[in-house]
Amino acid sequence: MRRVVITGMGAISALGHDAPSCWREMLAGRSAIGPIQAVAAEVLRAPIAAEVRGYDPLAHFDDKRLALLDRVSQFALVSAREAVRQSGLDFETDGLRDRTAVIVGTAVGGETSNAEASRRLYGENGRVHPFTIVRVMANAPACQLSIEYGVTGPAFAVVSACASSNHALAQALQMIRGGSVDVALSGGAEACITLGLTKAWEAMRVLAEDTCRPFCLQRRGLVLGEGAAIFVLEEYEHARRRGATILAEFAGAGMSSDASDIVLPSQAGAANAIRRALADARLAPESIGYINAHGTATPLNDPTESRAIREVFGAHADTIAVSSTKAVHGHALGAAGALELIAAIGALNEQAVPPTANFIDPDPQCDLDYVPNIARERRVDAALSNSFAFGGLNAVLAIRRAE
Amino acid sequence: MTQTVEQQVFEIVARLGGIDIATITPESTLKDLGVDSLEAIEIIFDIEEHFGVTLPDRDPDFDNGSVQGLLNAVRQAIDAAATPKASAPSAA
Repeated sequence: MRRVVITGMGAISALGHDAPSCWREMLAGRSAIGPIQAVAAEVLRAPIAAEVRGYDPLAHFDDKRLALLDRVSQFALVSAREAVRQSGLDFETDGLRDRTAVIVGTAVGGETSNAEASRRLYGENGRVHPFTIVRVMANAPACQLSIEYGVTGPAFAVVSACASSNHALAQALQMIRGGSVDVALSGGAEACITLGLTKAWEAMRVLAEDTCRPFCLQRRGLVLGEGAAIFVLEEYEHARRRGATILAEFAGAGMSSDASDIVLPSQAGAANAIRRALADARLAPESIGYINAHGTATPLNDPTESRAIREVFGAHADTIAVSSTKAVHGHALGAAGALELIAAIGALNEQAVPPTANFIDPDPQCDLDYVPNIARERRVDAALSNSFAFGGLNAVLAIRRAE
Repeated sequence: MTQTVEQQVFEIVARLGGIDIATITPESTLKDLGVDSLEAIEIIFDIEEHFGVTLPDRDPDFDNGSVQGLLNAVRQAIDAAATPKASAPSAA
């Protein structure tokens, strides 16, 4: 079987505008959740978010290009440029353009442009900007990456709410393994902090007013985040031949559907996805040292996810470090899994596990080792990253150290 | 004749929960009545729209709390809405 490795990563989130700064902040457990800026605080019950701050679009794109880019596509491009630069790939050589795929997850696509169109439509003169469609469409981030690099292989978006990134990365893994491409740009992007979406999440009564406290007794719910992370995935021999630095082996992925409730998570569905990821990666449960949990900090996700991990790992569950970095970068929906893969890769490469920040007291319903508040040095040969979406759509990634 | 708050709340719970209104008592929990969490969110939203009030996010516990707890929260919200807010002293 063809093996797949990761040779480039890029990210932008509330934690920072590149992957190293995002990782550093995750490891420090410094929460980037703060007073919301994109929406007037007085109309919100929970006026907090993990927003990308200090970001100047004109530092990255000229006016003409920017007119075609929703914030979500900008984030995808900024992180893709970092990832491609790190990989050292040149798409102009050896027909690589034809042998590269672009698969990007997003939950809601061009939400900012959609909100702007609605504002003009219902609140102003009823005229909508002619670039609205190309900015709003959920495949826009994937299109923009393909255009940026002249990549002519398969390119499309993957949509599965909060698991979009992981489903996208799993798809890219399989395309490289299957031989249809040698390289893929894959990950997720989200820019979801608009009046409409924050009010919609508020109406579901799942937002925390204070901060995000995964797995902890005082958790009150999730906090919205935004950003993107894009990875260069590459067939192992292809990467080895050109002497690329291998950040991690993308060993496997497991996917499942709960086929039950549209919102309530299922232990069985989550456990199935974890088991399938281990089997696909041919990893023994005992080899897993770190799990980046879905860990949304909702009352129901955290105990259900904890039980699913225990169901799969049995007694070994007690020896695994499990943390949710959503405490620091918020829940970036379709970009969540991609941002969290930065954490898992960081844990492999630095042999240090990022903590679950904002942790106060343990919840008796959540009985694993969540690495509260302080990073921990430990041996990590292989790691999992969980994503479980509304609708019961689950995707778990497995990575291991590059040899 | 106007309906009592209790009757109006019972009707909303019955309609959105898809249950017989005769089975609802103040002591029943939404869980006992077979109301799932998504229906509970919808019930609260409908109550807020119906009475023009805002209910607190988590108190009482709408997943496990009783209909009486819900009624208390609704009455408190109605009272709060009816009490004119103390006007802030104007800037000198």
